[in-house]
Amino acid sequence: MKLPALALFERSLRLETRSMLMCAARIGLLLLMLLMLLPIQSMARMGAFGAPGLNFFREMIWVNLVFITLAGLSYFASAITEEKEEMMLGLLRMTELNPIAILLGKSTSRLVGALLLLLVQVPFVLLAVTLGGVGLLQIAAAYGTLLAYLFLACNLALLFSVVFRNTATAAGFTLTFLLLFLIGHYWAADIEQNLVSSGEINPRRGIWIFFSKIIDVWREASPSDRLGNIFQTGFAGRAIGFQVISNLVLGIFFFFLAWLVFDPCTREEKESAPRQWFLRRRATRRSRIPPRLVGIRAISWKDFTFVSGGKLGLLVKFGVIALVMGICNLIAMEFGDSADFTQEFEGVSLIWISLATTAVFLALDAARIFREEIRWKTLSSLATLPISIPELAYRKVVGTLAGTLPLLACFFLGVLLVPKDVGDFFNNVFSESYSFGFFVISILQFILFLHLTAFLSLIIKRGALALAVAIQYLGGSFFMMFLGLLFSLAGSSGPGVALFFTGTICVVMIVILHCAIGWRLARAAAEEG
Amino acid sequence: MSANLPTIEISELYHAYKRQQAVRGVSFTVENGAIHGFVGPNGAGKTTTLKILATLLRPQRGSVRVFGLDVVADYKNVRRKIGFMPDHFSLYRQMTVQEYLDFFAAAYGMNLLERTRVVGDVLALTDMEGRRNDLIKGLSRGMQQRVGLARVLVHDPTLLLLDEPASGLDPRARIELMDILRELQRMGKTIFISSHILSELAQLCDSVTILDRGLVRYSGSMSGLNQSDSETADYLLTLAEEQPVIEAALRKVGGVIEVTKPAKAPQYRINFHRKETDPNLLLRAALDNGAQVLGFQEMVRHLNQAFMDLTEPGVPPVMQAPVESALPSNPGGAE
Repeated sequence: MKLPALALFERSLRLETRSMLMCAARIGLLLLMLLMLLPIQSMARMGAFGAPGLNFFREMIWVNLVFITLAGLSYFASAITEEKEEMMLGLLRMTELNPIAILLGKSTSRLVGALLLLLVQVPFVLLAVTLGGVGLLQIAAAYGTLLAYLFLACNLALLFSVVFRNTATAAGFTLTFLLLFLIGHYWAADIEQNLVSSGEINPRRGIWIFFSKIIDVWREASPSDRLGNIFQTGFAGRAIGFQVISNLVLGIFFFFLAWLVFDPCTREEKESAPRQWFLRRRATRRSRIPPRLVGIRAISWKDFTFVSGGKLGLLVKFGVIALVMGICNLIAMEFGDSADFTQEFEGVSLIWISLATTAVFLALDAARIFREEIRWKTLSSLATLPISIPELAYRKVVGTLAGTLPLLACFFLGVLLVPKDVGDFFNNVFSESYSFGFFVISILQFILFLHLTAFLSLIIKRGALALAVAIQYLGGSFFMMFLGLLFSLAGSSGPGVALFFTGTICVVMIVILHCAIGWRLARAAAEEG
Repeated sequence: MSANLPTIEISELYHAYKRQQAVRGVSFTVENGAIHGFVGPNGAGKTTTLKILATLLRPQRGSVRVFGLDVVADYKNVRRKIGFMPDHFSLYRQMTVQEYLDFFAAAYGMNLLERTRVVGDVLALTDMEGRRNDLIKGLSRGMQQRVGLARVLVHDPTLLLLDEPASGLDPRARIELMDILRELQRMGKTIFISSHILSELAQLCDSVTILDRGLVRYSGSMSGLNQSDSETADYLLTLAEEQPVIEAALRKVGGVIEVTKPAKAPQYRINFHRKETDPNLLLRAALDNGAQVLGFQEMVRHLNQAFMDLTEPGVPPVMQAPVESALPSNPGGAE
């Protein structure tokens, strides 16, 4: 290839081709798909599913959609910001590479890698046709939808990666925009419907015609709505619909926008530093270290302050819960009546919102807690403190967990508001062994997910959280199907043994990952430099 | 801690990365209170050895002891006695200088009073007092290097392991760093320093280990390195003008191995057995033959030359290099 604009792109593709990790990811994905097909086929023979092919196909496509969205905020959003953070963009700009070449080389090569990951699935997903419930047109339309959405997500993330100085901000904006694009039209349509039914607006008059049209276009361009249609039995639409064309056009638009703003946004190169979540930034300040802090508790303090955001972070987390509670109340006010605003409503909402927020923050912390030390090459300094690697890791975890205290406080406040409901819930859980089993396994699954995220963050530079979600979901789906099949074949009478078996496997995997994190941390400290 | 015990004692150390053998039977010692240079070409195994000394890597074979403590079995105690400065900036850039040092002092178990004193001391030693409230990310490379060095010193380690501490620094920052290291030696610290800047190491170090392709080529005092061979000596005789008769006269002196002319200038390099002849006899032979002598001095091999000689691609691997005791230039500073 002679074109200078494609030089970096070609190099990236070469590296990607040689990357063992990418090859392993493709092979791993295919193996998992094949393994998932086995129990589905067997269960279909036993009459467990009405349309086993459609079930398998639908599951694969939704997983891909989630994976693309998560890849957008981690893999694609770091395309340019990682060069800015490593202060390498200036060097790239000094070469003969023009902005187009840099954008192609840094982003489009990643897009090709992700496209390959999607395309290698197609022959195996075609097997779903033989399982029944799905046609070739549906498969072609679904993959067309995913490819177009991937193109859009990649270029949207590229734009934010060019505009913002660090990956976290670029990822945050990418996620917000992609979520709005995927599900925002449902909310918009609901609000419009509500306003129409209350007689406040007339969708056939004035500016409301325009808004109504926009919501329609938004819905048609969104892959979530399109996939919903494709999954319907007897789908007879076109393989390449409006969603595909609009997503491709938007993707091209974002790419050219990224190109246009590349020069003004990358002209100045400043030394980057780890992101200070929720911390006030001042050039000069006194030490924030508490006077009584002695020994390895200092490590917990550091992670509490710099990973979880410190005291201000605690307030922000209270703010997040208050904001979500406020939105819930607004929605309830809009769609419900005054009778809804009971203590029970507030208590249950608070419990669920605080649990969900805790889960999100813990997942984000798991992806950052060790990665940040590796990224900023500070692990070797910590590893030469007179403590063992496990002590170091646990101290870091304690510091990060301290950051979730406001969320737990909200949870307990919710419990105090609805003690009877919570008591009933636990009575149900403890009175039936199956309920108790499901409850324990849910907790184990989450702990396993956090371990997986932390471990992946130690071995891959970016996208640990996205990959953990995909692995946990696909692996979990496969495992549950396989287990279902195994116990059906064995003629087991109930899910009790299956739950025990699942719980045991979860515990074993947690222990393995727990040890692997310690081993990998020690290795990362030695490899630093 | 016994005063006679060497600070570092490495014996038959082996470490490999997959199929790549990084160090192959490395053995050497470093005496208390010395500044010991650790040099070698890229890939010689310096950083691997340093990381093993810093307890970040486990030796696969051999024994590594620091102050008599095994780096594997007694790693926590070893860590209390060492300060390791890696070859990259290992800094929390979002912290201020004082906060960063205070954090490490706290992590080493110091109370507020001790921390305040120690942080003040190391800031004074590294001449960073005026920058204590600055964010690290806003500091120059030289300043960041000083912060790194200050961090290494907060727990008052007896042994400093410094990996390329002067790389990327401007000449002024390098000279200032060397001054700080000399000051630290005067305070009784043993300094083990890996560097590619040989001229500075030559001025700074009491002893040196030269490593090449995972093998020790030389380990011992700087003065020992200056002599190409302790059995023989090389002297350079410089005359006012060319006098061929002198060369023949020098050859006739007993114990002379070889007389060569190293340059076009009227100079002769005389290689002789130390035990069989005396340099004064050689000078007398030249003067007796009417030579107008401008200079007569021993040819010492500087670190640069020794490095080039000992790490030449053609030099066959030496499994065990001569290991000599390297006494510090300032014995009073030793513990």
